[in-house]
Amino acid sequence: MKKQVPILLAVVASLCPVVGFLLPQPWVDEWMNRRLDEWMVIIASFALVLGVVSVVQVNLHKVRRRSRGWGFSLALLLSLGIMSAFGLFGGQGERADGSLHPFTWVFQFAFSPLQATMFSLLAFYVASASYRAFRVRNVEASLLLVGAVLIMIGRIPLGQAIHPLVPQIAEWIMQFPNTAAQRGIIIGAALGAAAMSIRVMVGIERPYLGKS
Amino acid sequence: MQLQLPGIGEWMAAFFTLCIFSFLYRDNVLYRLAESIFAGVSFGYYIGLARLNTLEPNLFRPLFSDFAGHWPLLIPFALGLILYLRYVPKAAWISNWALAIYIGYYIGVNLIQRLHGEVLPQAKGTMLSLQVPPGQLLGNLVIILGVLTVLIYFFFSSPQRGPLKPAARIGVYYLMISFGASFGYTVMGRISLLIGRLTFVIHEWARPLVRAVFGG
Amino acid sequence: MRVDRRGSGTIGRRPGRRGAARGALALLAALLAGGGLSGAGAAPAAGSDRENPRPLAATLAVADTPADGGSSLTLTWDGARLAAALAEAHGEAEDPAAAEEAAKEAAEEGVEEGAEEAADEAVEEAADAAETRAAARAGALPAPGAGEVDVERAAAGDTAFARIASVPASAGRFVDEGLERTTTYRYRLTGRGAGGRLLATPPTPPLAPRVNAFRTRRLNALAAMVFMGACVVGLILRARRGGQIYIRRISGLDAIDEAVGRATEMGRKILYIPGIISVNEPQTLASLGILGYVAKLTARYGTELEVPNIDPLTMAAAREIVKQSYMEEGHPEGFREEMVHYITGDQFAYAAAVNGIMVRDRPAANFLLGWFAAESLLLSETGQSIGAIQIAGTAQVTQLPFFVSACDYTMLGEELFAASAYLSRDPLILGSIAGQDVMKAAILAAIVLGVVLSTAGVAGFAAWFTAL
Repeated sequence: MKKQVPILLAVVASLCPVVGFLLPQPWVDEWMNRRLDEWMVIIASFALVLGVVSVVQVNLHKVRRRSRGWGFSLALLLSLGIMSAFGLFGGQGERADGSLHPFTWVFQFAFSPLQATMFSLLAFYVASASYRAFRVRNVEASLLLVGAVLIMIGRIPLGQAIHPLVPQIAEWIMQFPNTAAQRGIIIGAALGAAAMSIRVMVGIERPYLGKS
Repeated sequence: MQLQLPGIGEWMAAFFTLCIFSFLYRDNVLYRLAESIFAGVSFGYYIGLARLNTLEPNLFRPLFSDFAGHWPLLIPFALGLILYLRYVPKAAWISNWALAIYIGYYIGVNLIQRLHGEVLPQAKGTMLSLQVPPGQLLGNLVIILGVLTVLIYFFFSSPQRGPLKPAARIGVYYLMISFGASFGYTVMGRISLLIGRLTFVIHEWARPLVRAVFGG
Repeated sequence: MRVDRRGSGTIGRRPGRRGAARGALALLAALLAGGGLSGAGAAPAAGSDRENPRPLAATLAVADTPADGGSSLTLTWDGARLAAALAEAHGEAEDPAAAEEAAKEAAEEGVEEGAEEAADEAVEEAADAAETRAAARAGALPAPGAGEVDVERAAAGDTAFARIASVPASAGRFVDEGLERTTTYRYRLTGRGAGGRLLATPPTPPLAPRVNAFRTRRLNALAAMVFMGACVVGLILRARRGGQIYIRRISGLDAIDEAVGRATEMGRKILYIPGIISVNEPQTLASLGILGYVAKLTARYGTELEVPNIDPLTMAAAREIVKQSYMEEGHPEGFREEMVHYITGDQFAYAAAVNGIMVRDRPAANFLLGWFAAESLLLSETGQSIGAIQIAGTAQVTQLPFFVSACDYTMLGEELFAASAYLSRDPLILGSIAGQDVMKAAILAAIVLGVVLSTAGVAGFAAWFTAL
């Protein structure tokens, strides 16, 4: 019972989108695709509470014990509590008087800049990654280096200044060898994912039971 | 002339921006504070979004306004609640039902998407004609050879011996050129992100502040 | 008489409207339509012939679109014949004598129509003109070009045909989508002939779309699923019967033991990052498979393991898997729920927090396995800066370059899935890898065959792989 029911549920649930994909009947589409899709989003929303329990458990423990850095845990819990309260009990967007709801205000002036700044850090990281990538160790690394340098130079005016062929070579690499390799990776990964799907569908792999 | 100091929102945004940038030097109190607030605010934001964009419009409102027409929504409602049974030791095993349905459904979706949406069209895109003008012929040959050799590299159930060995090797070369190309392609985009962020700090916060304090 | 020429007693007629009021009504409608009278007047031949088109020498057939959910009908006609008929009609227009003759004929017909008919037509023309202008304003239907015909439709209850598209006369086929199953539809094709005279095919009989039993256009996907299923299940069964399955070593797998061993020696933790997507992504499931193996090692050697999560359902599944691994290794006491914990649902907030964990706790090994986006570089570079052994794996082609440059070992694409299966040591799962290789061989063969046939000018084989 503890094992069989989840396996049965997973197998039946996995067949629903396949049936919905192959059969054109509107009721099939309605139930096997649209509704189930909507239901899964609802289940995922409920799952956020699991995250809340985990975050509160870990951080409250630190605050209670006054562990090293407990103040940061408190800041996290407070910001989580305040933002959740804004989201759960208030609205979003603009109010009638043109001012922003607190939920949107915090998004705009705290969440959004923090996100953008983390994203922009990539410029520094990509520089250090380039330094490492461009140390030629073997044939593979030199190919990576050649590909990267040609594309970088080919996309800026310097490439054209060096030789008119440089941008064309860069374009050719993107269009042919790069496309070929990406296509190979996509087909291979898709087959790997499909095989994994089949293993779950026949019940050999059961990640929902802690057995993979 | 009226002095226009940056608003509290701009101050906060600039403060968090500088806190995060400080990590580039080393881990410090300001980064840690920003990191903690970032985690809390972002999680709270997703909780709010779940209520505003999913649970209220797609579950609670339909159920409470027209129960007869939307009673099937009780199923995801129940499955969502079942997830919480993992905190009840004796009934924890039931919580796996919701997880099983969730994983199962998307496994089915993935099977279709991967085979129908990726394998078939990518294979079709590689079935290129070789009866084309010489300029195009080279490109087509490069694509065909690349896809075949990369796929050969990904064979796991046979040893890479005989003709498979050089083929797989060529596949690896293709992969490396492609990684280099993707790398080079991304570098420029990342630099533009940094420029965008610095533009905010200078134009929205620093410049108004300097003007307000020193005039001009 | 007009009804007979149109071939329909239900379309275009407004029975029961008679008398002097019609003239006023026609005038009013024309004025409301904004220039309907002048529009009709500007092209007299075209204006009156919507009700009275000359026959276009082609037969239009309508049929239910096979293999759909009952929302479309398919029109077919002899494209070559229609194109020739249209060209011939245009040819007449270039001949001044023919054009004159056509115009005269149209004028005579206009007189014959009589006052009532003319008023009726004026109302309809006004409506048509308004409709055409509205369509033009919306930019939805550009005027048909040379060699094109208009597809016109009238649903049950409609009083006139309405233009829905312009297609090349030679196309021979048009699929009208987005229809109601409960309604019948009639169609005709129209074109302009000599002097702008409207030409139309006889209207089709009324037909409603119907629901079909199967999406035959997706047979290729079904065949792929069945073939792949047969390969995977077949080799699983062979493995179950004890058949030997060879699987080659995958780079990075030996390093897992090495990384755990190093962390154990150094007394530092292992950080396992299962990607940023929920368990609805197979890469996450593959990552959880590898997590099970890593957790067994950490349970065996008493090494600290931390699994920060971005998705609560992934956290739930990861927790079950780690717990199970500790139990299987006989160290249930070594498992604590906080080992697998949640951080936040945002990729950059998650990356900021994990970077913080890395620089503060200095794990000896980082595992970055699963679905990653831009944060891949933030995480792997920070991991590199603290000197941790880094084992990464993803099928995201855009992130692989960063893992390759910043990590010690990278599982490329399909290797992530194969590694997950390989580490399970389960012969059944290993059998499935062999099954997926058979499918791969079939794809390779199909590509080679497709190239040969495409080169030989046979496009049908490649077309079969079209995803519909």
